[in-house]
Amino acid sequence: MAENAERSEETLYKPSPKSIEREKQAMEEEPKEDLSSLLLPNLNDLPQNPPTAVEFNFSRYFLPDFTKPGHDQYIYRHANGLCVIGLAQAHVALKEEGGVTAVDFNVGKSDRSELKVTGKRKRNAQHFESNSALCKVCTNDNFYIVRCCVKGSLLEVNDRLIKQPGLLNSSADREGYVAIIMPKQGDWLKIKDSLLSYEDYVKLRGLL
Amino acid sequence: MTSPGPAIEWQTALGNAKLCLPPCHVIRDLLSTGVCVRCIFRLSGIHDRDCYISPINESELISVLEEQNEIKCNSTTSTNCCVCLGVLCPSCVVPEKPGADLREISSVNELALLISDMVKGEQYRIDEFSLEVSLPPVITANERALRLYLKQKYEKEQWFKDSFLRDHMSVKDTLKLVLNASLENYLAVQNVETLSSSFRIRLTYSHSETSQKLQSMLPNGHDSKKRERGSRENGSSKNCNEPDASAYRVLELIEDQNFCAQFQVPPGKVDKPCQLVVACCRTPTYIGGRYLKYSRNVSQSRWIIDDERMGETSVEEIIGENVRQICQGDGYKFHSAGREDIDVRMLGSGRPFLVEVSNSRIVPSSTEIEQISDKINHTDKKLVGVKNLKLVGAEAWDLMREGEAEKQKQYAALVWISRPLNVDDVCNLTSLKDMEISQKTPIRVLHRRSPLERSKVIHWMKIEKVEGTTQYFLLHLCTQAGTYIKEFVHGDLGRTHPSIGSILGCRAEILQLDVTDVKMDYFD
Repeated sequence: MAENAERSEETLYKPSPKSIEREKQAMEEEPKEDLSSLLLPNLNDLPQNPPTAVEFNFSRYFLPDFTKPGHDQYIYRHANGLCVIGLAQAHVALKEEGGVTAVDFNVGKSDRSELKVTGKRKRNAQHFESNSALCKVCTNDNFYIVRCCVKGSLLEVNDRLIKQPGLLNSSADREGYVAIIMPKQGDWLKIKDSLLSYEDYVKLRGLL
Repeated sequence: MTSPGPAIEWQTALGNAKLCLPPCHVIRDLLSTGVCVRCIFRLSGIHDRDCYISPINESELISVLEEQNEIKCNSTTSTNCCVCLGVLCPSCVVPEKPGADLREISSVNELALLISDMVKGEQYRIDEFSLEVSLPPVITANERALRLYLKQKYEKEQWFKDSFLRDHMSVKDTLKLVLNASLENYLAVQNVETLSSSFRIRLTYSHSETSQKLQSMLPNGHDSKKRERGSRENGSSKNCNEPDASAYRVLELIEDQNFCAQFQVPPGKVDKPCQLVVACCRTPTYIGGRYLKYSRNVSQSRWIIDDERMGETSVEEIIGENVRQICQGDGYKFHSAGREDIDVRMLGSGRPFLVEVSNSRIVPSSTEIEQISDKINHTDKKLVGVKNLKLVGAEAWDLMREGEAEKQKQYAALVWISRPLNVDDVCNLTSLKDMEISQKTPIRVLHRRSPLERSKVIHWMKIEKVEGTTQYFLLHLCTQAGTYIKEFVHGDLGRTHPSIGSILGCRAEILQLDVTDVKMDYFD
């Protein structure tokens, strides 16, 4: 699925050859019935648990112990090159009692939540290194720095985390993403081979 | 050479025309300056076509004027007119094919025949035509020079004060007067005066020798080098469009005194006649209708990345190519009212589209348009279909674009949620009317679109259960144009809110999407 996602940035699940045949037949019939029968799916094509939007549209990569032990992060890379950065399942902050309580984007030299990127070319986006800080994630007793993981332009940070830090506890792999970065092709290729696939990460951390 | 019929016609015509002509001594003067007989006629205000098609030469003209009875039909003029440079004689040379040898044309008939052969050779099917003539600015300069010369010499004479030049015809109008009737004859269709026909015959005259002289003579010399190079290369005024426009402008502004200082008065004689390029072309033909896309592997427009094609083919190519073929055009452009992703089907009413065919050899009849429809709709694979196909005018493009943002679209999405669907869910969703949602630019297009937050309206939603499942259902929805449906379902990592998932309080995924209606008045 991930391989396919690299090629087809926007495609959804494809029906089986059988239902394509059924569709063809339906098209010979009258227009009114035609439309409804065309729309209904073939039950055989419906999986119990379909792939998620993330699984389908992105290639998931993982960086265990990034700069520090236990600081596991993920990069979801879209076919168009954009990278979504976030905390991986076994990140040490997510294991603490009470989980994440606050998120602060004011780290390093600027407040990352203040940046305003405009235009198609996104020329005014700030450039960061892979170990630049994105934000500070606070728990009851500690705080942890989340970093970029890949060198590139910072397009957006998830400022919803400011008001709803709990998103990291409930869905760090989806709505709790931290930022979106646009790396240059060359910078991505440099780090690509050092990253773990989802399967390898799961094995490493003994999850599932 | 003489045949009684035509000879009598133009003899009579000439007899009548005599009244308009200036006195004999003036005519001798003009002839010796190098002005052709036809230019003399047109400057004198003679509008009778028969005079122009008569093969009369200088000495014959004198004979007629001095009322000698014998008029012999002889060979045509041997030199080129210093005013019209051979455009009216007509004795211009035409490159038959690019790079081929030049050919001399010495009569209106020959020119008309050449043009008509070209039209027939390309297999154009026409029911009318428009003639466009482009002349080099130097002819305007020549005419001005001649006028100034006559003024200087004869302004005290009675005939000059009376009416000379008041009724004169331009070179262009004279050429059209003379040529149109012959063309109508050969092409068997009517000429339409004001370029309103879709079929245009363009005659582009150029004269490199004098044009170069003109350009270097006039002020505004900063890019004269560029112009000189351009006009020397092939004499076609196609390369000299801008210099032409600026030359006309300068001529308009320059005063008589300065003009006479720069330009030879009266205009000098020329060795070679004008070069002529004949081109014919049809203005774009528009065919509009609505298309349906049955395949989830066909993109709307040609999509090629790194030499590899995305999807099996494209709507644009299937429809455009079929239209182009039957219209026998050179190329096509495909326009549509919005678009859908490669994996989204376009069903129901279909999406309005327009195909613009360039230089179509035929304008399709309704039977031929039906042929196009049939061809597209009855292919083996049934990837794309068309309906309501018809010929439309150029204004159709604006009609299609008009009020794009207001157009509503209807969709059917196959949705999966992370828990069974219940009655409350259905009530919840169907009760929401004209709900506003906020969509940050979806990640999948964020690389090429501005990062913005766009507000969109979901007008209504309906749930259709899928028998045999509890977590799947068909979501029918009607939304404002520009709404990203996939993101409305899965939430795009929370960047679209509310979303189906957020409304139902669970995770939602979209498996399939179909467009079921594009509400638009036109192309129905």
